Formats: sequence, structure tokens, C-alpha cells
Amino acid sequence: MRSSKSRLAALTALVALPTAALAYTAVAPYPSTVTATTYYSSGTYHGAVDVANSRCNYWGAETGVSASVRWNVTVRTSGVVCNGNGSGNQNEAKLDLGSGWSFRQWHWIKTSDSYDRTCNRCQVGNLGGTGNATGPHSHFQKDQYGTKNTSWYSSYTSKGEALDRAELMGYI
Amino acid sequence: MTRTFLLAPALCLLTLSSLAHATETPPPPPALQPETCSVEGLMDSIRRGLQSKSPAYRRYLSELLKESAVTLPEAQLRAAFERETEPVMVEHLGAALVAKTERGESPATLQLVGKRASTDADPAVRAASTRALRRTSAEEHTGDLYSRLVRDASPEVRMEAATNLIEDNQFVYAGLHGPASDMAVAAAVASSDSKVTARILDNISTAAISKESADQLHTLLGGDDAQVRAAAAKALGGVPAPEMSRARQTLVALYREESDVGVRTAILQSLARLGFASAVPELTALRNVDPRLSTEVDAWVRALSTGLQEWSLILREKQRLQQAR
Repeated sequence: MRSSKSRLAALTALVALPTAALAYTAVAPYPSTVTATTYYSSGTYHGAVDVANSRCNYWGAETGVSASVRWNVTVRTSGVVCNGNGSGNQNEAKLDLGSGWSFRQWHWIKTSDSYDRTCNRCQVGNLGGTGNATGPHSHFQKDQYGTKNTSWYSSYTSKGEALDRAELMGYI
Repeated sequence: MTRTFLLAPALCLLTLSSLAHATETPPPPPALQPETCSVEGLMDSIRRGLQSKSPAYRRYLSELLKESAVTLPEAQLRAAFERETEPVMVEHLGAALVAKTERGESPATLQLVGKRASTDADPAVRAASTRALRRTSAEEHTGDLYSRLVRDASPEVRMEAATNLIEDNQFVYAGLHGPASDMAVAAAVASSDSKVTARILDNISTAAISKESADQLHTLLGGDDAQVRAAAAKALGGVPAPEMSRARQTLVALYREESDVGVRTAILQSLARLGFASAVPELTALRNVDPRLSTEVDAWVRALSTGLQEWSLILREKQRLQQAR
């Protein structure tokens, strides 16, 4: 049996381990309704949270994390698009979480606030439907090396829920 | 499930009107009268609340102030911050000012807190102001503030600045933002306090540092303080791909010249991290250089031989193997 001293040393060593203890609160970017989560109504896999509001280009799209973090902003569409302009053309705010993990916010319309920034729930654009969309909404997706994760929202929000601005969607 | 987040309007206090009625008739329900939210009223509530023994409640109050800062008048908040001399309240008011910048307003409010962190006469207030800047975008709006704070006359301020750099690196930038990592390395080099230098280098991610920052780490390997040499060696273990080859060569050469066991232990870890399975021949060749560390080398070789592809898993496996003696 090992001595309590060596056991203590082992526990101390474990404390020094780097852990992925990032726990941010993901929140709604504007007053909205959850329109899709893990599966679309058609049964097709989605693996993310869509929140929508019909007032395109009216609401500011705030970054959906309640903490100061660095957002990498990619503008692929410069004009006002509310109902989609083709897959791959969505404007994106991406948060790198380390170890291949990312959190993405898609489809907003470019404004003067659309640039790389470090902030806590700041506007990166307006509510819109750039990219693969049939209407104005925001798509929130967490993935590791491209594989989607659903646990961050599955116990915290569900389709049909009405969300106020900054209301909880999940934890990433 | 619905969970409401902290809301600033909840701060507005509602007062009850006084009741003075005859005993025969039941009193009418009390009328609620709105009062204007004020910084002073909020600060009084927080002053009282901070005497609570509950850390969770104190954290709640701190968050409440930061959330409400967005709607509070900036001039009043600034005046209250500049007037305040109690470190605990300076920290909360400073955090509230910084929160305004973080929510998309001008960097001027954040810079006000940065100015007090570097110029206030009271070291406890400087330290409190420094804490108010933690886990925010302060590094992007305050120029060379951190290089000055790590040279502050007060050890408490120096250490708080180090903590900011470490936590910003991890929680704001996920260790992947080059300018933030470079700033942390520059501050570590600029510090006159070897404990601060070692603490920063021991805890930041260097995955995105520039060649210039890597050069500085190589220079620190030749310093007099073993703690700093060990931290620099450990930091070199996480450098980006273009710097890996040079780091491996330097560390292998240094291992043979170094006498401090702590530095040698850090070098072994960095070699393992830089090479993964390809580091096994290097580590094996170093096994007999220092008999005190032969078991450490063996543990690394066994962990790397598992073929794991993530550093955190390799590190955990190595520690598990050391325990399973």
C-alpha cells in the first residue's frame, strides 16, 4: 500500500494537469424563438441551435456568449440578405475554444461592427439570413475538428422556446 | 426550460409607502413607488451585501453591478470610481466601468481603470484596479500597461498583473491569439521579479507566439534563476511548429549542461511535448545523464509509446503510470 504522502503527491500532480475547464454561458443574441435543435422537423440531422425572429436587419445580432472572449469574424456576404444566398456564404463569428473546439454563430448581416473583436455580448452584425437559410435566424454550433457536439444545449433549451435577449441557451 | 439572466432593471428599488390608518378598517395594500436607479444606492446595497459570509452571494453582487453598469450613467460611475478609496469597492466599481467597454462601448472607461492601476498611490488600490481588468480585453486597449505593472514596486500588484496575463491567455484568448501570448512573454521578460516571470511562463500557452517571443524564451534559458530557466524550458515545449525543431535542439543540449533537477524535469516534459512518439530516442539517449531522473525518463517513454495524440492525454497517462508503481 502506498503511503499517504505519496498519495498526496499524486493528487497534487493531478491538480496541475491542464484541463478544458472552459465553461461559458451561451445566450440568445436577440428576442427570438428556438426553431431547430438536434433534428429538423423533416428528421434531418442539424446538431445545433437555430433561433429566429422575423424582423430581418432590425435587431442587432449580439455575440452569443456571456463572457469577454475573442471572436474571429468572417464576412462572406456584404449585402443585406434575409432569406439565404447559398450554402457557404454565411457570415460567421467564430470562437476558438482550444483542442480543436469551436463555437460558431452564423447568418448575420454585415454592419460597421463586423470585425474581429474581444467583447462580451457585443454586436457583430444584424439579424439576417446569409448563407444557407430560408429566413432570418442565427445558427449556433459547437464542434471539435468539424464534428458537432449537442450536449452543450440539449438539457437547457428546446424547440419552440421563446428566448429574451441574453437568455440562456446552454453551456459551452 | 427558462432561466432568466441577471437583469439591470431588477436593481431599481421599490419603496413601500408609509401606512397610517385607523385600526377599524383593513389597511389598503401598500403602493409601490418607483425610485430612480442611482450609482450611490447600488453601491450602498453592495457595501452591505459584501459583508455577507456567502462567497456565492458576494459573486452575485459583483455580477449584478457589472450587468447593471451598461444602463448606469457613465459620469456617475466614473465619479464614484475616482472618489472611492476602499480597495474592495474600487475593484467592483472598476469592474463595472470595464464591463461598459466589454459590452461594446468606448475603451475610455476601461483605460480609466488601467490608469488607476498604474498610478494610484495606494498599492492595495493598484492591485484592486488590476484585478478589475482580469478576463477582459484590457490587453488590447492599454498599450504597455502590463509591462509596467509587472515592474510595480508592490509585489501584490506584480502578482495580480501576472494572474491577469495568465487568465486572459486562457479564458479570453484560449491560448490561440498571438498578440496576447506575445504580450505575456514580453511582460514576463520585462519583470524584475523572477517569481512573476516564472509564474507567467509556467502557465501561459505559447502555441501562437512569434519568432521574437521564442527568441526571448531561448535567452531566458541562460539566466541565473533556476525557477525562470525551468519555466522558460516548459514554455518552449508549447511553441508553434516552425519553432519546434530549434527548441528541441536547444533543450537537448541544455539538458546535458544543466545541473538543476527542476530545470531538467521541465526539459524532459518539453521534449516529450515537442516530439510526442518521435521524442522517444532523444529521451532514451538522455536517460543516463542524470540518474535522479531515469525513472522520469522511463515514465515519459512509456506514456509516449501509447501512441496518444493529444498532449493533455499524454500528460495524464504519464502521471497515471508514475502512480501505478
